[in-house]
Amino acid sequence: MELEKSLIDATLEVFASMIFIEIEPETHSDREAVAIESNLFSLIGLAGDIKGVLAIQCPSNVAMGITGAMLGMEVTELGEDAKDAIGEIANMVAGGLKEALAVFGKKIELAIPTTIIGESIRTSGLSGATRVMVPFLSPLGRFGIELRFILS
Amino acid sequence: MAKNVLLVDDSSTMRKIVSRSLRQAGLDFGEIYEAGDGLEALAMLEKESIDIVLSDINMPNMNGIEFLREKANRPAIKDIPVFMISTETGDDIIGEAKSLGAIGALKKPFTPDKVNEVLGPIM
Repeated sequence: MELEKSLIDATLEVFASMIFIEIEPETHSDREAVAIESNLFSLIGLAGDIKGVLAIQCPSNVAMGITGAMLGMEVTELGEDAKDAIGEIANMVAGGLKEALAVFGKKIELAIPTTIIGESIRTSGLSGATRVMVPFLSPLGRFGIELRFILS
Repeated sequence: MAKNVLLVDDSSTMRKIVSRSLRQAGLDFGEIYEAGDGLEALAMLEKESIDIVLSDINMPNMNGIEFLREKANRPAIKDIPVFMISTETGDDIIGEAKSLGAIGALKKPFTPDKVNEVLGPIM
C-alpha cells in the first residue's frame, strides 16, 4: 500500500473536480518534522482495518480562499461556511482513501467530520501510530493533509 | 414537466455545489428543497411535492441507508425515486442502497459534466 500516494491522489482529485484551484504536493526531505501553522483543523475518524484520524490543516487565509472557491463567493471570516467546506473536503479525501484501500482488500469506515477553529492547533495522541503528513502548495498558501494510523 | 428536487446532505457546502451543478448542467428542474439528514428529508417529503431525491449516505441522526429503509415503509412517499451522491463507492453499501430502492449513485467528488452525464437522463 502506498498510503501517501493515495492521500495525494485523493486530494488532487477533489481540488481538480470541485474546487478548481491548482495545488501540488510539496517535496520535503523530512515530512515527519513538517508543521503548518493552522487556524482550522478538519478531522475525520477512521475505523476498521486501519484505525486513526485524517486531518486537513489550514491557515485562516487558505481555509477562507478554498471555501470561497467551493461556494463561488467571497469568504471573509473563518466561520460556519469554512468549517463545513473544509470538513466536506476531509470527507471526500477520506472517501478516496477508502476506495484506494479497498483495492488492497482493506476495509475502513469513516466517521462524520469534526472541525476545530483556533490558534496553532496540533494533533497528538494515538500512541504507536504512524504519521503521514503531506504539505500542499496552492496559490492561496500552504495547507496540509495528515494521516495518523494504526494497522489492525 | 420540470421536477422538484430534494437535496439531502449534512454539508451545506455540498448542497450548494449540487444545486449549482444542476443549474450549470442546464437540467430542467423546478424547486430545489434541502434537508440536512434523513429525518429532515422524510419530513420534507411528506410536506412538499417532490419528484426526486438526491441523497448523501454518511449523515448524522439518520443516514442515507436508514432513510431509504424508513421511506420504503411509508406508503405516501415510498415511490419517490432516490439517487445517492456520496463518497461511498463500495459495492456492499451501494448494493444495499439499491436493494432499498435507490435508482443510482454518483461518487463525490464530481465535475459538473459528470452531473450532467449521470443525472441528465433521470431529470
